Amino acid sequence: MASYLIRRLAMLPFVALGVTLLLFALLQLLSPEMRASLYVKDPRQLSALESVIETYHLRDPFPIQYWTWLKQILVGDLGYSETARMPVAEAIKAFFPATFELALTAFVPTLLVGIWLGTKAAVYQDRPLDHFSRFMAITGYSLPSFVLGLLLLMIFYGRFNILPPGRFSLEADLFIHSANFTPFTGFLLLDSLLNGKLWIFWDALKHLILPAATLFYNSVALLIRITRSSMLEEIHKDYVRTARAKGVEESDVINKHARKNALIPVITSSSLLLVGLLGGVVITETIFNYPGIGRWGVNAAQQLDIAGIMGFALVSATLFVLGNLAADLLYAFVDPRVRLK
Amino acid sequence: MKKLTLTAALFLLSSCGNPQPGEPTAIKNPDTYTYLTISDLDSLDPAWSYDTASHLVIFNVYEPLLGYKGSSTEELVPVIASQVPSTTNGLISPDGLTYTFPIRPGVAFQDGTPLTPEDVKYSLMRFLLQDRAGGPSSLLLEPILGYSSTRDDRGRVMEKAFQEANSRLQVQGDNLVIEIPEPYAPLLSILATWAPSISKQWAISHGDWDGTESTWKEYNNPQKESSYLFEHMNGTGPFMLERWDKKNKEIVLLRNENYWQAPAQLRRVMIKGVNEFTTRKLMLSAGDADTISVERSQLSQLRGIPGVAIIDDLPTIIMSPVVFFTFHINPVGNPHIGSGKLDGKGVPPDFFSDVDVRKGFAYALDYEAFIQDVYQGKGTQATGCIPKTLPGHDPNAPHYNHDLKRAEEHFKQAWGGQVWEKGFHFTLTYNAGNTTRQTLCQILKVNVEKLNPRFKIDIRPVQWSTYLSASQKKMLPMFTLGWAADFPDAHNFVFPMLHSRGNYPAQQGYKNPEIDRLVEQAIAETDPGKRKELYSTILALAYQDVPHLVVLDTVDLRVQRDWVKGWYHNPVLPDSAGGGDFYPIYKDATEM
Repeated sequence: MASYLIRRLAMLPFVALGVTLLLFALLQLLSPEMRASLYVKDPRQLSALESVIETYHLRDPFPIQYWTWLKQILVGDLGYSETARMPVAEAIKAFFPATFELALTAFVPTLLVGIWLGTKAAVYQDRPLDHFSRFMAITGYSLPSFVLGLLLLMIFYGRFNILPPGRFSLEADLFIHSANFTPFTGFLLLDSLLNGKLWIFWDALKHLILPAATLFYNSVALLIRITRSSMLEEIHKDYVRTARAKGVEESDVINKHARKNALIPVITSSSLLLVGLLGGVVITETIFNYPGIGRWGVNAAQQLDIAGIMGFALVSATLFVLGNLAADLLYAFVDPRVRLK
Repeated sequence: MKKLTLTAALFLLSSCGNPQPGEPTAIKNPDTYTYLTISDLDSLDPAWSYDTASHLVIFNVYEPLLGYKGSSTEELVPVIASQVPSTTNGLISPDGLTYTFPIRPGVAFQDGTPLTPEDVKYSLMRFLLQDRAGGPSSLLLEPILGYSSTRDDRGRVMEKAFQEANSRLQVQGDNLVIEIPEPYAPLLSILATWAPSISKQWAISHGDWDGTESTWKEYNNPQKESSYLFEHMNGTGPFMLERWDKKNKEIVLLRNENYWQAPAQLRRVMIKGVNEFTTRKLMLSAGDADTISVERSQLSQLRGIPGVAIIDDLPTIIMSPVVFFTFHINPVGNPHIGSGKLDGKGVPPDFFSDVDVRKGFAYALDYEAFIQDVYQGKGTQATGCIPKTLPGHDPNAPHYNHDLKRAEEHFKQAWGGQVWEKGFHFTLTYNAGNTTRQTLCQILKVNVEKLNPRFKIDIRPVQWSTYLSASQKKMLPMFTLGWAADFPDAHNFVFPMLHSRGNYPAQQGYKNPEIDRLVEQAIAETDPGKRKELYSTILALAYQDVPHLVVLDTVDLRVQRDWVKGWYHNPVLPDSAGGGDFYPIYKDATEM
């Protein structure tokens, strides 16, 4: 297991390098003036782009440009985002925690419910629970997030006046920005607990419920269907029949034998799902006026904020690489054949 | 266990304190006023910012010499000055060239330092001499110095500007005396919203101009973010800046407890950028917002919501939307002009300098469809850039109508026939969240593209502050904006929209020396009849030149919670229908 882990980790820098190379190569399609914002540290420099172009060799051959840029991003200098009106690194630091909280709040129930319901649906094939799971999957797939999100918002906020949009209420907003609150991490749920303010924790959670529910409903469909089909395949295999014949209890047959093997495709799709959620969920964040990285990313793209777009792409790429790594490690955990190869 | 979980869930839901349907909603956040809008701020520097969103905040934190009396656009009241100068009270000299403003004693800045006549002079000097390109300085440069820019035609700073400003603005005891070269009727109206007082000592201590002749040129036409005043405020007004959260597009103002008049009734004012209309609407109906920015096309969705009041038919002194052509587009790193050549894949930087191109667009726009569809008929087609609420408006001024045949004729003549033969491709922009301007762009696109399959227009929303920067840098080939009155006079429309030194022509690179001359002649003209004739001539020349497309004259509307009291409409105040003057506003459910 240790050598497998080392092998996977050793691959990581090469993959990351490949990703940055690809991203930077794409950038070469733009003129040096448009790329210059990647090197700007202060908005005042935006009107003196020619000196930026010279300083950072933007008219030099590709390898020199790439090396100059790589040195910069390695020290966390990603340019200035005009959309966020702050340096890109700061923007990522500011927007990512909100998205992370939302993603996690949606992902954990998605994973638990998806695997549980998928397993049950397979075990009780064509029985009411299976029909219910099918119903959830079909509606989850077919209801776009902007319809579901608005519907939930209209019911729970518009009609019942609970679960409002945004990230926090006015009272919490004022308290968080006062001297009485220390933003230790930027993660509001965590910071509220570290500050001993349970009411802020509850306030933040209330604001997370609807966007998280929207994401949950849209994402759980996939996991239910994958788990179900994978489980159906496994429970009809010989080793399951053998286990049953040996008199192993049915719950052990399902949970310990069949499900562990059925999880491999689930791991792949759930890691991709998590990466997708962490990379920002544009529509959900926009509808709920949630200040996450996705909303920033789409603003940057719409307004051709090159530094913002690159920053966003780098975050997404890094998350994707890490997500794949996590999936690979989990494969090894559930399937010994992977680590022994 | 299951029962317990269910009970706990029900308890949590019930503890949220939601009113039952039909039950009256209690005022949420009774001492905080929340305004949801689509714009973010450009700058908080009163000498730099020249857009409604920024001016709204500046107006409520800083104070000018004079103000308007309630809803009146004619009657003025003293603010920082203790009297409104007039010939009757002797504070305006009989020849109309010397204005004396006694400065109100006992006024202090929010940091506690008392306001002095020297601060008022410094604020006016800074307003005049900072003179950023396309900024508000020309409003006072024209009347006080007699020219509209501190830089000559080649962009060189004029040495004389400091000395002239310094001699025309004089502190005499407790008074500030302004001497102007020629009589200028709207001067007092301009001083009623512009060039508010800042603390000289505070500004200097934070690295701003020290007020001397030796350094003023370093501070002329500065970068937006270069001044401390870009994001910090210290005024004498009823509110103080508590926070400007650029990331979340949110600004919070806190009541100034030591305000020289009584403190405001609202403790806080929160202005938040929420681009999604449905979210704004839901927050208004839930009582989390007190007023929201609304466009007429969205009005039907707000009717019948309990507790929400719609105030319509508010008079305006505004010309919006207007489509502007950039005559000399900045091609450097410009993503909006495609190939940058007239090859069907882009447009050359001087594409719109051909009058036939502009006329083609002018005839292609379906004005009537826009007025009917977006404004539901609430408005009439504009005849020139002077709104009908102002003297100088000419209802018979020539204007363009939707006529695709004539549009085609002009496009065929443009650039010696090359436009029709090769086509073009560029980006037409509007400020994000403004669905009215978005629809206008779409109507224009559809009509132009159906003339010739080689004509291609992309439409792109741009965030407000970025939008302003991009238009100032001449990056937008064609853009939709508007003009709201700085003071109620026709000059405030013809100058910024037609004079080569005005806000828009400076950005567009448009200049017609004859129009410039007539605009200057009209403001110096004291005979109203002759002045009207001059404006008619100007509008006729503008019709020939087509530097922009004016669309309609309309009325404004406001949507608010019915517990909002004290608000009044004055079309000269910044964003009056949504924001305006926060000082008299309070929230009270008992008066409904």
